[in-house]
Amino acid sequence: MSSILFYVLALVALLGAAGVILAKSPMGSVISLLGTFFALSVIYLLAGFQFLAAAQILVYAGAILVLFLFVIMLLNLGAMGSRFELSFAPLQGGRARLAGAIAVAFALVGLIAAQRTTLAATSAPAADAPAIDGLEGLALELFGRYSLPFQAVSVLLLATMVAVIVLAKRQREGEHGGERGGERGGDPR
Amino acid sequence: MEAFLADVPEWILWVAKVALIFGGLIGTAALMSLAERKVSAWMQFRHGPNRVGPFGLLQPLADGIKFIFKEELIPEGANKFLFRLAPALAAIPSMMTIAVIPIGTIVVGEKKIPFSIAQLDLGIMYMLALGGLSVYGAILGGWASNSKYSLLGGLRASAQMISYELTLILSILVIVALSGSLDLGAIVTAQRENGLWNVFTPFGAVAFVLFTIASFAETNRHPFDFAECEPELVGGFHTEYSAMRFALFFLGEYCAMTVMACLNATLFFGGPSVPLWPEAPWFLGILAFLLKAGFFLFLFIWVRWTLPRFRFDQLMRLGWKVALPIALANVLVVGAWVAFTAKGS
Repeated sequence: MSSILFYVLALVALLGAAGVILAKSPMGSVISLLGTFFALSVIYLLAGFQFLAAAQILVYAGAILVLFLFVIMLLNLGAMGSRFELSFAPLQGGRARLAGAIAVAFALVGLIAAQRTTLAATSAPAADAPAIDGLEGLALELFGRYSLPFQAVSVLLLATMVAVIVLAKRQREGEHGGERGGERGGDPR
Repeated sequence: MEAFLADVPEWILWVAKVALIFGGLIGTAALMSLAERKVSAWMQFRHGPNRVGPFGLLQPLADGIKFIFKEELIPEGANKFLFRLAPALAAIPSMMTIAVIPIGTIVVGEKKIPFSIAQLDLGIMYMLALGGLSVYGAILGGWASNSKYSLLGGLRASAQMISYELTLILSILVIVALSGSLDLGAIVTAQRENGLWNVFTPFGAVAFVLFTIASFAETNRHPFDFAECEPELVGGFHTEYSAMRFALFFLGEYCAMTVMACLNATLFFGGPSVPLWPEAPWFLGILAFLLKAGFFLFLFIWVRWTLPRFRFDQLMRLGWKVALPIALANVLVVGAWVAFTAKGS
């Protein structure tokens, strides 16, 4: 039962991911991405990671994607269609082939790594390792063993935020007086 | 009767609980649409709807029938898929969040049945995750309508919901830190064991004020109802909606209000615990819960017909420069307090 569910969800996630690339309008991409996030979240639930599933929805679907939507709506990217259409243009050309090859290579490495860790886990089950699926176990790992990487990532995020503010400010000073032209209706690709 | 109730199989209890709580939520939402008009009439020395049924009580039913039989209009150039999807996205998440609210405990003989659909360890995470999704209804509905009023309304609504969600989460976090659990049932138990509702603790009081303000903004209610804001935006993100899909947006709003009121009662006012009487029988507990939640529902209406509307930039300033810093400071102080007066370690 749960394996059937897993395959269905995996299919939904993959189709959504393909839709992100293939959708003609950026809005269609965002909706596809939303579907992928949901499927992933339910897969986490199936695996027993309740907190991860909730965090996936809360952070990705609830916050990050909404910001994407904001950007799309504010950029006013051309006329929108009354229906979603697919375009296979992004799949053609040398760059797309290169990107595809890299993606496949990464997927292969990931699969091999997953096989190896599964083998290691089955050969030596960790007896008293704290359960990461529980909130307490997760917090202990995050603020205990992985405290330094966790804070490094936070600093990285902070740096990104500062950089974005600096860039935005510089752009605003640069355009002082003149109006920004040619940005409306531009194609992001 | 009691022996019979003690022996019913688990799944019948489940179905009964789901039907009762979910039906109660929808019924409350319908009654709220009547109460809104009745209370506003009462505040303005009018009568309000009083023709359908005794005291106009059947008015929501009549409204529902009207909405179902109205013609559905979809504007030209609208994205039909999203246009149809958005009302459901607005209504469903807020209906689902009621599942983890502990309404009380039903005691039948020796058996204690928790009166809530689900008792999750991560109940608050579940609520916040789903509650965060209701923004999609506004933003997608506004975008898909292909109308400038709708688009602006959708943008405003979502900007406001995202901004105040931070304050909302941070004020809930204070209660989580004080109670040491994300389970709403455990939060109620902690308040009962302390003998003190969270609102009467200093940190809890600050969190309560912030939570109440944020809950008004989250549900797009007056004085923060910029999603609609008739003089500026006609009807906001649901300008182009008609018939039942229009009603679904309102159902979603009223359900969200009901859930927020229940959450307020649970987090800050001890949920189903009766004041000054810890051993009160179970049905009084449920009654106490309903009264508390009912008061906050009344507060939503009371504020709407009393206060004038903010301006949008004022709302944003209040959210980011006043409410959020206070909420952050509150979380910091509570964290320090809990860490240094640690009960557990």
